[in-house]
Amino acid sequence: MNQRVRVTSPQTRLALRRRTDAMRPLNRRAGRPPIASTPIDMDAAERALKRQRRLALRTVLALGLALAALLLAADLASGRLGWAVLFFAPYPVLLVLAAVHVRRAERIESDS
Amino acid sequence: MLGLASISLVLAASIVIGVWGVKAARSTPDFLVASRRIVPGWNALAIAGEYVSAASVLGLAGLLVKNGVGAMWYAVGFTAGYVLVAALVAGPMRRSGAYTVPDFAEYRFGSPRIRRMCGLVVLVIMLLYLIPQFKAAGVVLELVSGIPYWIGVVGAGLVVASTIAVGGMRSATYVQAFHYLLKLAFIAGPALVLIFLAGPERREAAIDPLEVDDEWMRPMLDLGDSGQPVLATVSVLVATTLGAMGLPHVVMRFHTVAGARAARRVAVSVIVLLSAFYLFPVVYGLLGRVVTPSPSETDVVPVLVPGEIAPGAVGAVLTALVAAGAFAAFLSTSSGLLLALAGGLSHDLFGGSLPRLRLGVAVGTGLAVALALPAAGVDINVLVGWAFAVAASTFCPLLALGIWWRGLTATGATVGLLIGAGSSTGAAMTSVLIDIEPGVVSILLAQPALWTVPLAFAAMILASRPSSVPEWADEAVLRLHLPGRYSAEIPIARPRKSLDASEKTN
Repeated sequence: MNQRVRVTSPQTRLALRRRTDAMRPLNRRAGRPPIASTPIDMDAAERALKRQRRLALRTVLALGLALAALLLAADLASGRLGWAVLFFAPYPVLLVLAAVHVRRAERIESDS
Repeated sequence: MLGLASISLVLAASIVIGVWGVKAARSTPDFLVASRRIVPGWNALAIAGEYVSAASVLGLAGLLVKNGVGAMWYAVGFTAGYVLVAALVAGPMRRSGAYTVPDFAEYRFGSPRIRRMCGLVVLVIMLLYLIPQFKAAGVVLELVSGIPYWIGVVGAGLVVASTIAVGGMRSATYVQAFHYLLKLAFIAGPALVLIFLAGPERREAAIDPLEVDDEWMRPMLDLGDSGQPVLATVSVLVATTLGAMGLPHVVMRFHTVAGARAARRVAVSVIVLLSAFYLFPVVYGLLGRVVTPSPSETDVVPVLVPGEIAPGAVGAVLTALVAAGAFAAFLSTSSGLLLALAGGLSHDLFGGSLPRLRLGVAVGTGLAVALALPAAGVDINVLVGWAFAVAASTFCPLLALGIWWRGLTATGATVGLLIGAGSSTGAAMTSVLIDIEPGVVSILLAQPALWTVPLAFAAMILASRPSSVPEWADEAVLRLHLPGRYSAEIPIARPRKSLDASEKTN
């Protein structure tokens, strides 16, 4: 158990890799990417991924619906109101969507 | 002359700030991502500064005059993209510890070959994006000073390339943050003054739909009178929203913040900054419709409006300010793009050192300038729209699937990238080279994102055989979503207060 392990940051590893890449011919090897070697709790990670993914999908869906609703509203509103909708309405909606997502994502992170 | 003087001032100030920030451009990490020591607030300003390009400042107003208020959808899409960036990309991407999209691809798939492919796609997107920036510089210089278009373009290329090659990303960050503030001041300030100066009659005319035809006032984006406004609008929205998520120079910026949390928050701040900015090009567009209903070159509308509304000294000063703002837009966007292009050229394609990176900047500028000369007649927003469409059909599926789905394999990603890049560039080229009758087909070629994005997603999913998912793929994906010390990036032994402050350390 007294084996010595070389510890480098991913940046260093990438940089080292790049240096060797530059000297070798194209397409020379494929294999395990520079993933950190510290152990992780795979089950906790699994749960975190699932929760984050559900949240992300929900945000994407909400964004799609919001844009569709705006499109509809802008098209139905006639004349002056039409461009006013397009001028003022989208940005607060987008900001709220993003802010809510970030808050929830951070809450998931502090749970796990 | 006043215009030329103000542009020179912007230039001088940018160079001073750039030199001030140069101090540390010594190693490749320093050059590319400022060694991650850039404060989040500066970063959001820099992202916005880089993102609000000539397409936003000039193209948007021009398109508004030409096509109608539906042009505002471009701004909506440009901003909506950051909701996706915050939700899907920023955090995990930062945790991967990679500098660029190609680096991420290598982290995720463990294949140097796919890194090179991503490097190629970066080149295509960045070039498509750079050409309109140089076009903008050329037309603005021509308008304010009478310098011939080609001299303006070549000169602009020399200036940008030299600032970047000397300073790198650190200087670029400060310069770009400065440019955001400059753009906001020089575009918003004159806009407010112009609203005041325009007088009640023209103000009324600008917002009153009664005097213009219904088509112009309809808040839809009809490309080339195709008769399919809703389809065209949706396709532009898809391209801009999903494209923003896959833009290599934007993704690269997130590596310069302290941690995953900070990265996500930066994306939200960018939405605020963009929302504040995008109101103003619309003002120029609406006023421009009244005072210069049919300009000879639509992309210079914001520079023309002040002179039309306020002839004389006041107009000249305002024109100079707007021109300087437009030039700042050009400078900041093109330096960010060139940096990403140089990164792609040198270390993704050839694997390189700092001198190669500098050479990459020179080569990239040369290509963009050479291509901008014949592009004088193409609308800025059309070219930018293609850059977004290509990004949406390549890096958007690559990042979305690569980050959230373990089943994506190197083969799947390669096939998807090839199909996405091929179909989107192919469609755009076809729409330029062949004259097609306006209709559904012409829209789907000119603005192909609506079908090329699903196609690329489908290709990546179908070509990823479950049996060829490597055993480490699980871990590579899971690490992207774990906070704190479990994340992909190992904390280095010596304390790094400022670097990981925002990341939970448990």
